[in-house]
Formats: sequence, structure tokens, C-alpha cells
Amino acid sequence: MKCLLVEDDQALARELSQALRDGDWLVEHAATGQDADFLVRTEAYDTLILDVGLPDGDGTRWLAAWREDGIDLPVLILTARERWADKAAGFSAGADDYVTKPFEPAEVLFRLRALVRRSHGHAHPVLKVGELSLDTHTQHVTLAGRPVGLTAQETRLLGYLMHAAPRVVSRTELAEHVYDRDHEPDSNVIDVQVSRLRRKLGSWRIVTQRGQGYRLLEEEPAAE
Amino acid sequence: MSANAAWHNQWQRRWTKRSISLRLLLAVLVMVGLALPIAGTLLSHHYRASATQAFDERLAATLNVIMAGVTYDRLAQQLVLDQALGDPRFENVYSGWYWQITDGAQNTLASRSLWDQRLPVVENENLSARSISGPRDQSLRMVERDIYLAPLEAPLHISVAARNDVLADDIGEFQHLLWGGLIGLGALLIGVLALQVRWGLAPLRRMHANLRDVEQGRSEQLDTRLPEELATLASSMNAVLARDQRLIERGRHTAGNLAHALKTPLSVMRLQLRQLPEANRSAWEVELARIDSAVRHHLARASAAGEGVRFAPITLHTTLAPLLNGLSRLAQRRGIALRQSWGQAIRVHMDEQDIQELVGNLMDNALRWAQSEVELDVQAVEQQLVLTVRDNGPGMSEAECQQAVQRGKRLDEQRSGSGLGLAIVTDLVALYSGQMHLTRASTGGLEVVVELPVVAHG
Repeated sequence: MKCLLVEDDQALARELSQALRDGDWLVEHAATGQDADFLVRTEAYDTLILDVGLPDGDGTRWLAAWREDGIDLPVLILTARERWADKAAGFSAGADDYVTKPFEPAEVLFRLRALVRRSHGHAHPVLKVGELSLDTHTQHVTLAGRPVGLTAQETRLLGYLMHAAPRVVSRTELAEHVYDRDHEPDSNVIDVQVSRLRRKLGSWRIVTQRGQGYRLLEEEPAAE
Repeated sequence: MSANAAWHNQWQRRWTKRSISLRLLLAVLVMVGLALPIAGTLLSHHYRASATQAFDERLAATLNVIMAGVTYDRLAQQLVLDQALGDPRFENVYSGWYWQITDGAQNTLASRSLWDQRLPVVENENLSARSISGPRDQSLRMVERDIYLAPLEAPLHISVAARNDVLADDIGEFQHLLWGGLIGLGALLIGVLALQVRWGLAPLRRMHANLRDVEQGRSEQLDTRLPEELATLASSMNAVLARDQRLIERGRHTAGNLAHALKTPLSVMRLQLRQLPEANRSAWEVELARIDSAVRHHLARASAAGEGVRFAPITLHTTLAPLLNGLSRLAQRRGIALRQSWGQAIRVHMDEQDIQELVGNLMDNALRWAQSEVELDVQAVEQQLVLTVRDNGPGMSEAECQQAVQRGKRLDEQRSGSGLGLAIVTDLVALYSGQMHLTRASTGGLEVVVELPVVAHG
């Protein structure tokens, strides 16, 4: 999952990015509203962390502008506890959740996962596709109740497919959301990782829709 | 000595507390009680003197007529009064009006009214007047004079007397009028003063009513359309009120800036803790949490206005609407049903920010712990604003509930500031002299009931 962190304080941005990466997130950073505006409009993110106090204008104003333009990615705002009225104004501007500074890194991760999950329409923290389940908080994958050993990258990829299921996910979408911008893979790398997943989970579970992308199946299709 | 001083102090204290009306009333009572009787006595005395003098002059005039008319008839060897006095009162016996001419020996001439009586004689060359007792014990005023009339060798004593009671009646009538007038005047003075006190102190009473309005938030400033003396007082008080407001604003501003300045470094420190070995980490976490909660606690208190100042009534629903809209959205995103029930158009005397903080923290706490639903109930019960917030989260034990309502106690500091929200609520509730109860809700979670005596009526 990929997250854009909009935070002007360099030290905080560095530490929070690291904490997010440790929590298995891909993190990009923007220090100003202007930069964030550009990135939000050109790149694909799963979620956005927005500090409300930015050097070039209140974060909630940028947020309101993005919402106006139909950008609906889930947004978590970081706020120094100020007036509740202002905080509430943040929600009204289109924030989905908030954490108050100073925050526990764990809380940020918790809120982010919940945001992403809900943005895909999942209420429960454990995602299930057939017998396959993923605990979004622990990143544990089980198949019919038995743990499956996956690498971090495989978990990310499977996680994205599970969040999106039963939708078809294109290679481009996967590349954007599951890989760092600096190390964007060619489609070969994705194919290789998908086939590894197929080996570990059963090859019928991930179907390749020619020309469209990948899709997770709940049940094994009846043999023809 | 000291007992005397103590008495003096007590007297002074008691005197200072007397109302202005009473002071003015006492002043006029002193005036009416002392000045009027003194004036009355003086006037009365003066009138008596001048009335007596006038009476004497009338008698003297008669005396002059007699003096001019008396001759000695040498042939008859007796005194003769040429000119009869026209006044019939001298003819009626014992009428009270008498005259008499005598040389003290055989020659005596007297008015018929004297009959066989005689007036006492005092030798006196000059005109003199005195009060004497006449026939039938009549109290008389008499003037007399001695003249020499040739060929008599002895002086003639000429006396004219008249009854004193004419004079006494006159003086009595005057005194009657005088004292009646003075009593009337006194009553009038007291009456007018009472009116004056009422009318003169009316602006003061108006100012007092005005001040009470400000106190209860019905108006923001004192009306300065007052008499000059009070207008300056009112505008000075307005200046104090305005300064009060400015100080609150500045305090809040400073608190906000300080909050912002501290929050980010604290966040960074928290995040850096992750790099410490596990064993060291928790001690640092506790310390950081302490700093954090101290900062939040004191900043929240600094920015709370509380009941030190009176506030214009605000419509609660309007004030809370933006906050609740935002919280509804948050609840929706968290998959929590937020239900609200409201009493009719509730108006409260509270600072907008305070009530927003209070409700925001209560709701935030509930939303943090709720499984799936949060209820907010807002009612006005007479003076009391009753806020009830219920969630269906894990709830709290009785001991935790009790601890939470004690001021300044942090509830479960490790749980990411959750207890702190309630601590801020506790502080705000105390500032407004309210009450807060925490119990287990029927839904299993926590139920917080806050009662604040802030409902505005009328």
C-alpha cells in the first residue's frame, strides 16, 4: 500500500516515514501543499497523511480543493490539538480520520489500515476471499486456517488484490500501489511474483484476465 | 482606649455600609429637626418683640393724644381733658382699655372704664412700657410718661394701658401660623428629598440593572448613556470588561501557539523511541506521555474561559452543528453509528469554545472506544444542561469511573491520550461548577453524564 505523507517538519517526516515503512507501507513525502497537490493529481496513492499546519496554507484548504476536484482517496489528518471546532472543520473539509500530535506510530498505522480497508468497502480488519484471509493489522495470511509464509512484497501484492477483490486489478495499478516509484517494476517482475503466489496459494486463485489484469477468485471454478 | 477604638471602627464600618438614601435622609432629618426649630424660635422671638413694640407704639400714640389734650382748669382747680378720645373702649367699664392722668395727690383724671380703680404709678420722665396687673387681675400692657403742666408743681403721670391678651392673641396666632408653616415645610422637605433620592439615584439603579445584564450575559457592555458622573464610571468598567476579554483571547492565542510549537517535537521524540532498545523504551514513553499530558492539560485549562466571565447566551445546536457534522463524518468513516437526540432549542451561557471542547472530547472518547454505536443526548432540565454520551465499547470498571471524575487524574495514560480527553472534560465541568458521572451504559460501554448549570431562560 502506498501512502503520501504531507508534512513540513523534516524531522517528523523522516521519523514517521520510517515508522510507516517499518509497518510495511510505501511512503512518499511532500513538504508543502504545492508539492502534495502535484503528487496527488499525478500519482496513485492508497491514502494520504496530511499535517494541517503547512507553510503554504492550511492543510484543510488543500484537502477541500482536492475533494472539490473529485479526488476521493482516504485522508488522515495530523493535528496539534487545537480547537475542536477547527478539527471538526477538517472533517467537514473531507478528512476521514485524524490523529493528534504527539501520536503513537502504532495508532497512525492502525488508522491508516482501517481507512484503506474501508475505502475498499471492508468493515472488518480481517479480509477474506474464500478460504484465504489476511489480517490487515498483523499482515498474517492464512489459507484455510493455516499460516502461509509470504515475503513482504508478496504480502503487499496479495493484500492489494484482496482489498480490491473481486475487482480486476491491472498491472499498472499494481505497479503504482505496491511498488516504490523509484523501483517501478516491469510487468515481468509482477508476473514472476504472481506466479510465486500462485504456487503458494493454488494456481486457480489468481486469474489473469487477458488485456485487463489479475483477479482473485473465491472458489475453484468447476473443471471444464 | 482600645475598646473605644474598636467601637469607633465598628461604628465606621456600619456607617460605611448605610445606603446613600439613608445618608441623605439622615441629613435632611438633621436639618428639619434642628434648623427649623431654631429658625422658628428666632422668628417667634423677633415677632413677639416687634408686636409688643407696635402695641406699645399704639398705646404711646393714645398717650400723646391725651398729653396734648390735658389742661389744668385754674378756676375749677382740676385737670381737664379737652379732647375726648373717640374710642368707646375707654368708656366701657373694665373694658381692658384705660388711661389715667394723676399728679400722685388730689388731681387725678381717669377713663371711665377704670371706674374706681387706678393704675399703678411709676415715676418716669421718659416714655416707658411694662406689663402690669390691672383691675380684676387683668394682665395689662401700660405706657406712661411724666409731664409738667403749669401751674402744677408735681409732675403728672400719664398712663395708657390696654389688655395684654390682644397682644398675646396676636402673637399666639402668629406662632400658630409659624409652627404650622414650619412643620409643613419640614414635611415638604422630607417629601421632596425622598423624591430627589428616588429621582437622583435612579441612574445608579439603572446602571446596576445594566451591570446585572452584563453579568448574566444579556448584554456585552454597560450603557454609557448616564449622567456625567456615572458615565465615566460605566466607561471605565467597560474598559475593564474589554481588557478582560482581550486577556482571555491573548491567553488562548498563546496557548494555541505553544501547543503547536510543542506538539511536533514531541511527535518526533515519540517516533524516535522506536529505535531504542525495548528495555529503555518504556521508561521514556512514560516520561513523554507525562510531558504530553501535562502540556495538554494546562493548555486546555489555559484556553478554557470558564465561568469567571459571563457569556451571552448561545444556541447550543448552532454552536455544535459544525463540530457534530465533522464528528458524524468521522463516525461514518469508522463504521460507527452516531445517534443524536436533542431537547427543544436549548440556549446556554457558555463560551462557544468551551462547549465545543467539552462535547468534542466526550464524543472523541466515545468514538475511540465504541464498537459500533455512539449516542449523544442533549437536554435542558431547568437550569441544568444535561449531556449524555453513551458508547458500546469495553466500558470502564467502577474504580476507573471514580478515578476519571477526580480532577487532574489521568486515566490510563498509555492509551494514547484517551483518558486525557476526559480529564479536560472534568476540568471544564469544574470550571462551570457542573457535575460529571461515569457509569456502565445499558449498551455495555461507558455512559458519561455531564450536568452544567448554564441553561439560559427567556
